[in-house]
Amino acid sequence: MDTILNPLYFAVSWVIITIHDLLSPIFSEDSGVSWSLSIIGLVIIIRIILIPLFVKQIKSQRALTALQPHMKEIQKKYKDDRQKQSEEMMKLYKEHKTNPLASCFPILAQAPIFFALFTVLNGIGRNPPVKRGVLTQEDVVSAAQAKFFGAPISDTFLGSDVTTVKIVTVFLIAFMSATTFTTQRQLMVKGMPKMDSSNNMMLQQQKIMLYLFPVIFAVSGVNFPIGVLIYWSTTNLWTWGQQYYVIKRNPTPGSPAYEELERKRKQKNGDIQSPDSGSNETVQEPEIKGQRKQPKKKKKK
Amino acid sequence: MRKIFVGIIHFYQKWISPSFAPRCKYYPSCSSYAATAIENYGIKGVAMAAWRLLRCNPWSHGGVDYVVIKEKVGAN
Repeated sequence: MDTILNPLYFAVSWVIITIHDLLSPIFSEDSGVSWSLSIIGLVIIIRIILIPLFVKQIKSQRALTALQPHMKEIQKKYKDDRQKQSEEMMKLYKEHKTNPLASCFPILAQAPIFFALFTVLNGIGRNPPVKRGVLTQEDVVSAAQAKFFGAPISDTFLGSDVTTVKIVTVFLIAFMSATTFTTQRQLMVKGMPKMDSSNNMMLQQQKIMLYLFPVIFAVSGVNFPIGVLIYWSTTNLWTWGQQYYVIKRNPTPGSPAYEELERKRKQKNGDIQSPDSGSNETVQEPEIKGQRKQPKKKKKK
Repeated sequence: MRKIFVGIIHFYQKWISPSFAPRCKYYPSCSSYAATAIENYGIKGVAMAAWRLLRCNPWSHGGVDYVVIKEKVGAN
C-alpha cells in the first residue's frame, strides 16, 4: 500500500513544504500560520485543478435548455413509471452527448490526496516524528510544533490530552457540518430545477444533514489530525463558495435562481434603454469558440 | 459476506446519498449497480462495481447500463 501511495506522499509534502518555504519569511519558519496556510494552499491548488471539470459540467447543464421539450415529453409519457422515466432520460443525454450529472469523480479524485495528507500528518505527530515524502528531519520537527489556534496540527482529539486540541477539533467539526449543510441547502432551495412533490424529500434530506452529518464528521473527525480537519474545512468552504458563484451567475435552467436572474436581466433591459451602460453591467459568460455550437437559449417566456 | 457489502450500500442509499444532489451519469446508479452485481457475483461483483465507478467519470456520457445477469444453468 505504501509503495502505491509513495508518489502521493511526495506530491502532497512537496506542495506543503514549497508553500511553507514561501511563507516562512513572512510568518517565521516554525509558526503555525505558515504550516496551516500551507495546508490551505494545498486545498486551493487541488480545487483549481478540478475547476475545468466543474466548468464542463456546467456547460452541459446549460446545454439542457435545448433538450427541455424532450424532457417534458418523457416526464409526461412515463408519469407513473419512475424507472422508465430515468432510463429514457439517460438515453436522451447519451444521444445528445451531454450529461449534466457530475459523477463521483471529483470526490473520488480527492480521496487519495486526503489519505496521503492524513498519513503525512500522522507521521509528523508520532514521537519521534516520521518523515514521509520530501520532508526533512528539520521540517518534521518544525511541523510537529506548529499550532493552529493553539492546537498542534498533527494532534488528534483522541490522541491528545490537551484541552485546546479538543476545543479546536469540536469547532472544526461544527464548521464542517455547517458548511455541508448550507451548501446542500443552497443547492436544494435555489439551485435545482423545481420538481413536484419534492418537498417531503427535501425535509427528509435536511433532517439527515442536520443530524447524521455532524455524527459522521464527529466520529471520523476525532481520529483525524487537526491538519486534516483544516483541509476538510477549507475544501468544504471552497465548495460552498464555488456553488454560490455558479448559482448567482450561471444557474441551472429551471431553477429558482435561474428565474430570479432572468427577471433581473429583464428588469435591467427594460429600465435602461441606452445599450452602452447596459452591456457594461451584464457579465457575458466566456464562450469557447471553435467548438461544437452551444445550443442557443430560447427562454422567452 | 455479500450481505454485509449490500447492507452497507443500502445504508448509503438510504441515509447518505439522498442528501447530495443526484450525480450519477448512469441508470441504474452506481450504488444500485454495485448492490446487484455483488448480490449476483460476489467478489467479482466488487470488481464490476469498481469498474462501473471508473466508467462514471466526467468524460463519459452515461446511459442505461444494467448488470448482465447470467442465467444459472443447472446450478440450482
